Amino acid sequence: MSDNEITLTIDGKSVTVPKGTKVVDAAKQVNVDIPVFCYHEKIGPLGCCRMCLVEVEKMPKLMTACTMDVMPDMVVRTTTEKVEKAQKGVLEFTLLNHPLDCPVCDKGGECPLQDNTFKYGPPDTRMEFHRANNAKATPLSPVITIDRERCIACQRCTAYSERIEQDQGLVMLNRGFYNEVGTFNNEPYDTRFSGNVIDICPVGALTNTDFRFKARTWDLTNTATLCAHCGCNCNITMGTRLNELMRVEARPNDAVDDGWICDKARWGHQFVHSKNKILTARENSVGGGKPTSFPAFPHDCTIQDAAGKVAKAFKKIAEEHGPESVGFIGSPYATNEENYLYQKLFRQSLGSNNIDHKSYQDTPGLPVEHYGVEQIETANVVLLIASDPTEELPILDLRIKKAVTHCGTRLVSLNDQKIAMDKYSSQSVQYRVGTEALAIDALANGLARELGESAPAKDSDKTGISVEDMKALVETVRSSMKICVVYNPAALSGDAVLRVKRLLKLIAKVPTMECGAIPAAPMTNAVGAMDMGLLPDFYPGGVSMTNAEEIKKQWGENAPTTKGLSALEMIIRAEAGELKALLIHRSNPVIDFPGGSRVADALRKLDLLVVHDMLETETAELAHLVLPSNGPGYDEGTTTNIGGRVQARKRALETSHAPDWKIINLMLNALGDKTDYQRVLDVTDEIAKKVPGYQEVNRRSVGKTGCDRTPVVSADETVAEQSADSGKDGSLRLRVAAFLFSHDKILDASSKLAHHFLPSTAHLNEKDAKRLGIQNGDTVLLCAQDITLEATASVNSHCQPGGVVVPRASDWQGVNGLIAADGGPAWVEVRKV
Amino acid sequence: MSGFTFSENQEKEIAGILSKYPFKKSAMLPLLTLVQRAERVISPEAMVAISEKLDCSPAYVQSVMSFYTMYHTEKVGKYMILFCINISCQLNGCDKLLEHTAKKLNIKVGETTSDEKFTLHREECLADCTNAPMMRINDTYYGGLTEQRIDQILDSLD
Amino acid sequence: MTQILFKNINMKDLQTMKVYEEQGGYQSLKKAFAQKPEEIIEVVKASGLRGRGGAGFPTGLKWSFLAKDVFPRYLCCNADESEPGTCKDRELLLKNPHMLIEGMILCSYACRIETGYIYLRGEFHDLNFIMDKALEEARAKGYLGKNIMGTGFDLEIHTHLGAGAYICGEESALLNSLEGGRGEPRMKPPFPAVEGLYAKPTVINNVETLCVVPYIINEGAEKYASMGTEKSKGTKLVSVSGHVNKPGNYEVVLGTPMREIIYEIAGGIPNGNKLKAFIPGGSSTPMLPADQVDVLYDYESLAAAGSMLGSGALIVIDDSVNIVEPTLRLISFYMHESCGKCTPCREGTRWLYQIVERIMQNKGQLEHIEKMEDICDNMTMKAFCPLADACVSPVMSSIKHFRADYEEYFKNAPVGSV
Ligand SMILES: Cc1cc2nc3c(=O)[nH]c(=O)nc-3n(C[C@H](O)[C@H](O)[C@H](O)COP(=O)(O)O)c2cc1C
Ligand code: SF4
Ligand code: FES
Repeated sequence: MSDNEITLTIDGKSVTVPKGTKVVDAAKQVNVDIPVFCYHEKIGPLGCCRMCLVEVEKMPKLMTACTMDVMPDMVVRTTTEKVEKAQKGVLEFTLLNHPLDCPVCDKGGECPLQDNTFKYGPPDTRMEFHRANNAKATPLSPVITIDRERCIACQRCTAYSERIEQDQGLVMLNRGFYNEVGTFNNEPYDTRFSGNVIDICPVGALTNTDFRFKARTWDLTNTATLCAHCGCNCNITMGTRLNELMRVEARPNDAVDDGWICDKARWGHQFVHSKNKILTARENSVGGGKPTSFPAFPHDCTIQDAAGKVAKAFKKIAEEHGPESVGFIGSPYATNEENYLYQKLFRQSLGSNNIDHKSYQDTPGLPVEHYGVEQIETANVVLLIASDPTEELPILDLRIKKAVTHCGTRLVSLNDQKIAMDKYSSQSVQYRVGTEALAIDALANGLARELGESAPAKDSDKTGISVEDMKALVETVRSSMKICVVYNPAALSGDAVLRVKRLLKLIAKVPTMECGAIPAAPMTNAVGAMDMGLLPDFYPGGVSMTNAEEIKKQWGENAPTTKGLSALEMIIRAEAGELKALLIHRSNPVIDFPGGSRVADALRKLDLLVVHDMLETETAELAHLVLPSNGPGYDEGTTTNIGGRVQARKRALETSHAPDWKIINLMLNALGDKTDYQRVLDVTDEIAKKVPGYQEVNRRSVGKTGCDRTPVVSADETVAEQSADSGKDGSLRLRVAAFLFSHDKILDASSKLAHHFLPSTAHLNEKDAKRLGIQNGDTVLLCAQDITLEATASVNSHCQPGGVVVPRASDWQGVNGLIAADGGPAWVEVRKV
Repeated sequence: MSGFTFSENQEKEIAGILSKYPFKKSAMLPLLTLVQRAERVISPEAMVAISEKLDCSPAYVQSVMSFYTMYHTEKVGKYMILFCINISCQLNGCDKLLEHTAKKLNIKVGETTSDEKFTLHREECLADCTNAPMMRINDTYYGGLTEQRIDQILDSLD
Repeated sequence: MTQILFKNINMKDLQTMKVYEEQGGYQSLKKAFAQKPEEIIEVVKASGLRGRGGAGFPTGLKWSFLAKDVFPRYLCCNADESEPGTCKDRELLLKNPHMLIEGMILCSYACRIETGYIYLRGEFHDLNFIMDKALEEARAKGYLGKNIMGTGFDLEIHTHLGAGAYICGEESALLNSLEGGRGEPRMKPPFPAVEGLYAKPTVINNVETLCVVPYIINEGAEKYASMGTEKSKGTKLVSVSGHVNKPGNYEVVLGTPMREIIYEIAGGIPNGNKLKAFIPGGSSTPMLPADQVDVLYDYESLAAAGSMLGSGALIVIDDSVNIVEPTLRLISFYMHESCGKCTPCREGTRWLYQIVERIMQNKGQLEHIEKMEDICDNMTMKAFCPLADACVSPVMSSIKHFRADYEEYFKNAPVGSV
């Protein structure tokens, strides 16, 4: 037993727990159930409700087990007469003014108050007065209802707002008996994480407005699955009834979400019932410009036939025009199994490396440790690069706040825009929009100089960062004992992501320093997509094309080993008529890729465009052939989160449609591959065999909470010299920023979140605004690439002069159209209307 | 929300208050008191203004404000009468005197006269028990109350 | 009569630096600064001084508990004085503010504190001016500020006004309030001596406690300890109110018979009435019946009699009163002042109020007494802070000693009124 462990006795059972453990948690270890209302492991002790009173030897009075740290040789008793009397007393007090409306309460069936009363409560109440008449159900926000009458003032929700969200939007108002949960001036409580209070309220005082009266809790079928939105892959429970999604709740997993989910997870899954779901395979009569020479799908075409026809059509083109004429754009939202099979199809059966899943540059693997998100709490320094966790990976936002306020972690950032997390950082360094490569190099060079490695004597001043600021940042990084670098590859233009990797290598050289990174792309399975080899230049597990020997060994003699086209290159080649056939899985390049109408035009030129997706999109509209994808809620498989944790996404809703992996399997079969996967787990097993890093991943290891894949190798990249380009006179460099509640096709079905939608907005620096005669609130036009986009000007210091930051507010805003199709630097002209 | 600004003098005073504490939030009660004394009420706009000064949420300001009895969300009269009704004053007959006062002002306890001159509140012990029965009007303590003395005091205030 | 705190209390202009110094004010500083800080703590320990805020905790001991080597440290003077019946601190602050400042300087020197706050209850706005003025004078004299009297010791003291909340007299609630929060008590541990104001080691003492310190330094621990009883040393201010001929704050040596305080010092019961009950230490202490009037006024004797010395507020009740009336008033007080954080206090105080109110409407029954006793038992030592216990005090003691007064109301009770 180490110094940090303490042994005590609870109800006669001996238990050893770490120092600092609360008695109530220690009791759980030996299956002693101490009833609680206000205590919540993640929020910490409050001591409000007094339900957890226990007897402790040598203490004159009963003690609250939730506030009390374990002490050596402590003797705790939880079932003595004194304790039982106290429990009855507390419950009686608690119930004094609580309505007895369990039969109609949403919490009925899963209510700690109901349970505790049943187990520990008095037989009946001796209350003879009218109960307090607190307000009945009123909206606390568009999605949360508060029944103040049922509130037992445990303060869990307000403590959550204070300690976890840390913005104190939900507070206790008034005093004493008149205490009530409320917001400022009765304004809605509509934060990014507001829904968690529903999960933690121990009574039916805070309920999900959407779920109220829809179903009784005991009628629900609950499925432990994953949120399908961002790269955190938070664990959720989907409650369904009669194959309809009724509600989403958090399913705590310390290694991933720390017990919380964001409101997008809770209310943003209604797309499973979207009326825009693609349900059958079809030929688009209004398809591309050219008539196809391929057999149309008959109306009653089975999925086998459809898959077979698609596969054969691709094969035919590959044979006629060479394998480079076909391509695949996969999805960072699809499961590992789907991605794995698709790359297999294209590489093995079609011989093409034209495989990608993204519109930015990135390579698999890291030159340092791949940290899991929980490492944030043990790091001394967290360095954010081009990352805005609040909008991109909300649960990371909570993690970082926790680390900064409770674990002594320091946050520093290197960003081109102001972010909500700046409030928590000890240093926020801002570079000019578009100069990330120079800024990252400056940091790396600073370190290199400290380490005595070769580096240019002077850094570019184009970044707008002062020498002192950069020095301070270098010093913070250099002197941190353990650093976790969180960077968003999707927000890094050009080859800046490779520069981050060079920076990481340098940090790793600092003596006695632990260093790790989290590649924090916002998409659900961006890490998994790379691991599965949805890349033109890497096979699964980060095996580089240059490693031909290894590739042949693993994938056979015919495996293609020339570098394929990236997604953006495929679009350009399609435009040039060189790419003939393209299969797009769960991706919408027309809207999400740079280029705007050029993308659509390019796709129209294809001989064959097949879109395999779950919702109708602008891209699907252009397809010759459309295949249905089940998508989250209906699908099964694994995904890999930003921290490299592989977890199982389970099916919560039944469907008679073939799963995506099956469809791909059928395509493989049609092209001669004999493998017949019975279940998705068979694919998972094959991944374990074939993909470096995934050897240990299987049904059992993934279990309930997932397992970390071993890091995949990182290529040794070299970076080219970078010079900052400049735009036309007076134009501004565009930065498209992420916005959590972007009104896209997915959220369109979740009308519950409509109050979060943002109008098209452009953040301009005061200096530029002055020069352009624009004032806060003016309607402005952003022009580039023959596209004009309207936005409301927000004049501030969100970014440095010379840049304009446009949050991606909706699919219909079309902001990516302002960028050239090759994804190069975007300069926009901004003018007032 | 806008609509509340501190005067130049108040800004100076606030700077002085803030300098007393290593953490801004400590100035919460002093700022609320400043507003209450100047405005005789604390409006939502004022709460926002305070929250901005102290780097906290307006909800937090309201939460704190609503805990204390000396802050009011409805404007109180020019003279705030706190009439002690706790035990020492009770033993010395304060209940009758309070009734008398209310009658004289022609309001109920808890109300403000229509000319906004007086507000009459029942108050817990004000720490002047040896002079019971007593009341406090704005900053002044009045002990040894009788009906006559109350009349005299009230009449002397303009 | 030995007068330490009230020696010159009614002297004209005592609140000014000039008069205070003429009376020997601030003389203790030189003496103290000649000693090591730890030595001062030992002197205070030896004097036997106990906290005058209510709990009676040995002051020197409290000072010695400060977390070692953690700085900065803070001193909070508890001038919240809200316990019904108590008004001694008000008189000290009003008439002799410099004595408190001197005491705070001594405490700060002893405990290596550089910042002190005087937490005044919100209603003491008038005292705030007086205190600020006195602090200004002390600063001008160099008793506060940097390098005080060339010792290298720095100290600043500020006033801080509350805003109407009895609970802010409880030391941890006071800290929350001073930090700009709701006056809800904090979990203990950590105790303020370890993590107090701004999570730093903090001493919290009552006004009266701090005011005694200059005397102890000037005159020595033995002299102070020679007064009073074995365990209750020195003098105590007692606020005598209620049914007495001469209500007022008096300084008495601990161990003085209660009879002497009520009948001699405070002039006895007016209007030819008889003593019925007395609450010896503020409303939170159990009331005692007239037949206990010979109890000695000190910590141990009052505890033995089933009550407490508390804050030193003696409330005298004559036989014209039915005890249930003041009892209801006190329950109402605690109900009003409960912060609402914990269940037994928030709900229990209100329930008790409802029952006693009903009894007073002649709608009570004998079972109500039993029920009240049980509710009180469910509140006692089960709440977050002692406020719930304080509410139980008058209820249980009134039932214990004056059950007949309750029965008065039952006599007229209509049957089946529950
Ligand atoms: C509900 C409650 C109210 C209190 N009110 C006061 C008060 O008004 N003034 C005071 O000095 N102490 C009060 N106390 C006691 C303080 O918590 C604390 O014990 C005291 O300030 C310590 O100072 P001392 O050691 O000098 O007595 C109160 C305690 C409780 C539980
Ligand atoms: S609303 Fe629920 S969580 Fe919040 S204080 Fe009331 S009972 Fe507790
Ligand atoms: S669970 Fe311990 S006091 Fe609420």
